[in-house]
Amino acid sequence: MAVRSVRRLVTALALVAACRGGGPAPAAPAVRYGQHVFAGGAAPPGATFENPYRGDRASAAQGEAIFGAMNCDGCHGGGATGWVGPSLADGRWRFGGSDGAIFQSIYYGRPHGMPAYGGLLSSDVVWKLVTYLESLQPPPDLPTEAWDTSAR
Amino acid sequence: MKRGLLLALWAGASPLPAVAQDTQWTMPAKDYAATRYSGLRQITAANADRLRPVWTFSTGVLGGHEGQPLVVGHTMYVVTPYPNVLYAFDLTRDGYPLKWKYRPDVDPNAVGIACCDAINRGAFFAEGKVIYNLLDGRTVAVDAVTGKELWQTKIADLAKGETTPVAAFVVKDRVIVGASGGEFGIHGWAKGLDLATGRIVWTAYNIGPDSQVLARPGTFRPFYDKGPDLALTTWPADVWQRGGGPVWGWMSYDPALDLVYYGVGNPGPYNPDQRAGDNKWTASVLARRPADGSLVWAYQFTPHDSWDYDANAEMILVDLMVKGQPRKALVHFDKNGFAYTLDRATGEVLSAEPFVEVNWARRVDLTTGRPVLDSSKLTGASRGNVKHICPTLEGGKTPAAPAAYSPRTGLFYVSTNNMCMDYQAAQATYIAGTPFIGATTPYHAGSVGGGNLGAFIAWDAVRGRRVWEIKERYPVWSGVLATGGDVVFYGTLDGWFKAVDAKTGRLLWRFKVGSGVVGNPISFTGADGKQYVAVYAGIGGDWFLLAGDVRSDDPADVRPPADFSPDIARHTSQGGIVWLFGL
Repeated sequence: MAVRSVRRLVTALALVAACRGGGPAPAAPAVRYGQHVFAGGAAPPGATFENPYRGDRASAAQGEAIFGAMNCDGCHGGGATGWVGPSLADGRWRFGGSDGAIFQSIYYGRPHGMPAYGGLLSSDVVWKLVTYLESLQPPPDLPTEAWDTSAR
Repeated sequence: MKRGLLLALWAGASPLPAVAQDTQWTMPAKDYAATRYSGLRQITAANADRLRPVWTFSTGVLGGHEGQPLVVGHTMYVVTPYPNVLYAFDLTRDGYPLKWKYRPDVDPNAVGIACCDAINRGAFFAEGKVIYNLLDGRTVAVDAVTGKELWQTKIADLAKGETTPVAAFVVKDRVIVGASGGEFGIHGWAKGLDLATGRIVWTAYNIGPDSQVLARPGTFRPFYDKGPDLALTTWPADVWQRGGGPVWGWMSYDPALDLVYYGVGNPGPYNPDQRAGDNKWTASVLARRPADGSLVWAYQFTPHDSWDYDANAEMILVDLMVKGQPRKALVHFDKNGFAYTLDRATGEVLSAEPFVEVNWARRVDLTTGRPVLDSSKLTGASRGNVKHICPTLEGGKTPAAPAAYSPRTGLFYVSTNNMCMDYQAAQATYIAGTPFIGATTPYHAGSVGGGNLGAFIAWDAVRGRRVWEIKERYPVWSGVLATGGDVVFYGTLDGWFKAVDAKTGRLLWRFKVGSGVVGNPISFTGADGKQYVAVYAGIGGDWFLLAGDVRSDDPADVRPPADFSPDIARHTSQGGIVWLFGL
């Protein structure tokens, strides 16, 4: 059910893009990674996912509840600050931090044990999770850790 | 040593005489009794200050380097954390070059299913094979001479949350293995494989009906508990099927009694409200027949565990005088803070004394074998945030860091933690392949001591007391080596490898090994006839989680320091190194 709904969304977005171009709809990947290097400087054709709830506080709060209910905190830690899984609150991303890249990480899973939740959660629920993660503000001093050298 | 002689030595069922064994280190805990004692005595309290590094090797792996190398004849075997490469070093040649390396194809998904870093607790040598577990749920046997894979067997299922960092344990023609996953709602088990082929001969669950637990009428005689299906009736219906009970610690074996001993880990989830009852046989020690897995006795250290007190720590088999009587004893330093002495033939508790600060229980009732609880330290989602429980769920001693016993001093040498925790349980939802935990448990320094988070101690199991103590700033997370020269070795999380006097605890020597030590030192005789000590450096395991700021390998994962231990990253970062020391 959930898979079907995201396919519908992708198809719809692809159709919109195709209509704008005026030609036939090309076969396109679901998500384009904005952070990737493009060979020859040319971005592959494809739809871009945008978080429909971006910046919405109520959705972020719902996403936080889902983060606990789906056991995300068991690997990524309370507050998503990292446990056996990486921190999702440091503003840095292994697989891209665009809306679509974060969506894909949750929906389809990632290597090293990130489970695919797309069989369990609707795309709407995944977007709520994305909204929660995007609401987390990295601590300003993270890149530098300094110690009092007069201490033992 | 010639290979033919080795094989001949290993053909017998009984343990080898100590003298013949001391030149090498062929199984994780040195011997079947799990003493981690080497009789070698060239290194003494008088000369240990002349120890120096003689060789190092970077494993190229950053995960926590638990476990220990093996030395068989003049070959040293090293298993890395994931991706579980097996190296064989030639100790007869200058620079100890590799003979071969075996690089299995390990499923990277295992890294995220392993609760607490992608560690491995080492290999076991038997019948010309080096046998160990890959993290992704397979046991492999590799030819010790050629490095060729002889067999591999799938023993565990990642999709159920099972991973396999535990060291394999070989008794006669049986390879005994288990799985981690106490944080993933597994149905914990041990399996017995055929040494020649890897075929699974028996599977024994730690939880469930007698038919699954292999508790057979006439064979199973627990000392305290009576009745059928104890591991089923002490659980709510169906809950037992995802009740945890992992096997990730160390095993031991008594050839005279023909019993294999291993500890079982925590029940799941951490929220005890979801699993009324004793939850047998989690947080327990089991004694099984190696040939068919039959359960002979079982004892539960922590009934209805409400603090994640896994009982996976080693069971050290020694003969002790208890109340004037010689007893075949089993000594165990549990996560729950008590040092237990059991009769290893029956499972009777002979003594149980706290070896660290303990407040969840007042004492252990030797008549019933049950702890006398402090009800104010019981946890559960219905009880809110329960403050200041000692020890933490890291344990009074972590099972990952096995103790040693010296027959010369009669003392046990134990790495301990001096920490307490708050425990806020919450309802946990079971989703296969994802964590099943349900508790938040921040730590703080123990209320005894001067803020030191750990200590290295010598323990007299007969009198139930500490003989000496070395306070350490950080929890002590390395295993221990005791030697015939009355020198004891251990390492610290801030990267010191230390030699201390076995009798007094006096520091004899220390060396900064480049990363925190969570591995277990060993000793052996080199091709030149000299005594050497080997140990891994490479902080990790739970410290991969607890001290995320010791990591520098992943630019997409930057973490603040842990609030209870804010400055460990000042002293160490990750990185696996094999060290060899000699005079």
